Amino acid sequence: MSNEPFTHLVDAHYAPLHRFALSLAGNASDAGDLVQETFFIWATKGHGLRDTGKAKSWLFTTLYREFLRRRRRDARSTSIEDLPPGENDIAAEEIDRVGRLDAAAVVAALQAVDEVFRAPLTLFYLEDLSYVEIAGTLGVPIGTVMSRLSRGKAQLRAALAREEAQSRAKVVPFPRSAGRKPA
Amino acid sequence: MNDREAKFILGAYRPGGRDAGDALFHEALEQAQDDPALGAWFARAQAHDAAVAAKLAEIAPPPGLREAILAGARASRSRRPLWRRAVWLTLATAAAIAVIGSLALPALRARAGERRFADFVLADVADTRDHHNDGDPARVLQAWLSRPTTRLPQDLTIDFAALRASGCRTLNFGGKPVIEVCFQRDGHWFHLYAIRVSDLPEGRDDPAPAMLARDRYACASWPNAANGMRFIVATAGDEAELARLL
Repeated sequence: MSNEPFTHLVDAHYAPLHRFALSLAGNASDAGDLVQETFFIWATKGHGLRDTGKAKSWLFTTLYREFLRRRRRDARSTSIEDLPPGENDIAAEEIDRVGRLDAAAVVAALQAVDEVFRAPLTLFYLEDLSYVEIAGTLGVPIGTVMSRLSRGKAQLRAALAREEAQSRAKVVPFPRSAGRKPA
Repeated sequence: MNDREAKFILGAYRPGGRDAGDALFHEALEQAQDDPALGAWFARAQAHDAAVAAKLAEIAPPPGLREAILAGARASRSRRPLWRRAVWLTLATAAAIAVIGSLALPALRARAGERRFADFVLADVADTRDHHNDGDPARVLQAWLSRPTTRLPQDLTIDFAALRASGCRTLNFGGKPVIEVCFQRDGHWFHLYAIRVSDLPEGRDDPAPAMLARDRYACASWPNAANGMRFIVATAGDEAELARLL
């Protein structure tokens, strides 16, 4: 394997892979490890992939599998599909809310979404993969991806509202200087 | 297709129109054009999705991640047969023996945390000109390291707190202190970096040094459990230079 194609592959995909890993793992350290491990696996196995056009899907799939391998799924993940559909209505206020929050708060809200919804939701928001590619990456049917997107978005909107409420709660009035009395 | 079904499908439609050519969405999109209420909902949904996507895109990978990925992949590559590597043709027989010994050491790929530390050290050695040693403890250690008979993994223990307190060069690695002591061996400069194991628990327990080479620099990493330290010695050159110390 020559160095240049690999460097190009890293440059093209390591940032969105890191964002995906960050939403899954919940902290920057584990996210960095996941991304490094993904490219490490590519360097040892993946470069034999015949269709280089599938490299992107291969990387996302490998990262997701590596994440799952590190963390055994709990029983909740299998039953959560039975929940009712998410609330679909979106108020204009909710769009403005996203704009008011900083990126870290939005990522924190994304991390609050149940993991089974979080993975397809993050891939959707990265905008690199279509719903068909997301289904292939996660190894689930297309209908399941759509269902998880719907429910995940509802959870995310609730989490964004909590994030904003928390950020407001952190703001406290500046204390009055001693010795001055209000007029 | 009722409204609920249309919303269900359109929820998978990425903002920006990248899925416009996908036949699955055609009917739902046409319905959104014909139904003002559904159209308004779709516009808000797309605006919300675009806003979240834009915030997510603002998240930048941490500094050093790209270099760590590239360094890790280089360590993974299988080495070509030694007799095909041009560098070996230029080495004297005595040096070659030392190099072969060094290549028998395990590649530095065991744990990502250790790799990141190695990448950090190689970047510092390559980029920083002001390597300096201050204080008596550093000078004593420097003199000991410079002795031709000193073998690092076996013999090296340090008093981290004393070195740091005496003004030894201290760096910041992910919020954790790292000290550096420079020394010469046979006229060649080496740089010893030390971090507490408690500050970098993600690494090998094996005390055997692991090697990593990048560009024109090389380093060897090993832990000393008894001393509670993780060490890296780095230098300009290849593994052959380090083999003289190990």
